[in-house]
Amino acid sequence: MLVLIAIAFLLLAGGAGCFLYRLFRGPSVADRVIALDGFLMTVTCGIMVEVTREESVTSLDTVLVVAVAAFVGTGVLARYVERRADESEDG
Amino acid sequence: MMDVIAGVLMVFGSTLVLLAGVGVVRSWGIYARMHSAAKAPTLGILTIAVGLALAVRSTTALVTALLIVVLQLVTGPVGTHLLGRAVYRRMRPELDGVDELARDESVGDGADSCAGAETESGR
Repeated sequence: MLVLIAIAFLLLAGGAGCFLYRLFRGPSVADRVIALDGFLMTVTCGIMVEVTREESVTSLDTVLVVAVAAFVGTGVLARYVERRADESEDG
Repeated sequence: MMDVIAGVLMVFGSTLVLLAGVGVVRSWGIYARMHSAAKAPTLGILTIAVGLALAVRSTTALVTALLIVVLQLVTGPVGTHLLGRAVYRRMRPELDGVDELARDESVGDGADSCAGAETESGR
């Protein structure tokens, strides 16, 4: 069980690294928004694996907070992408 | 036995998240990146939540895992749709096929539903 959880953590770390790469290198703002959303989903998965490892549900509510924050952030940043191109034509 | 199943489910979900990350890095174009970043981690979260509910056998864990899955299944497509619409309207990436949305968008804001109904009845 602990070996499987360690493997899961390694895979999640790889995914988080990929999302962070796109977050820093993304050519447009929308790429960065996607990468941030995916990174927060990865954080969600990591917290759930951590809860399974220590078998206590005290930090499980954090997952809900992160998920809601990711959704609100994506919505606000989508409005930002849509609004911002009004000033500069090429976006 | 239950713990092993939960661990396998967690490894599977983590693999999906890793594949989504690889897709976000390697794909060409914003729509392809959105495609890989929106769907795979949702299934990964679902799988990991099922594994959590199997490993931590308590009512709190079960209810919270269910809440997480429902929240992710509801908010994920909504956020991706908002972002995709913003990208379509403002950045205008080149498409491979026929731009069917342009016909409805050209009618103007506020008349979208009417244009869609008219098009549907015309077919």
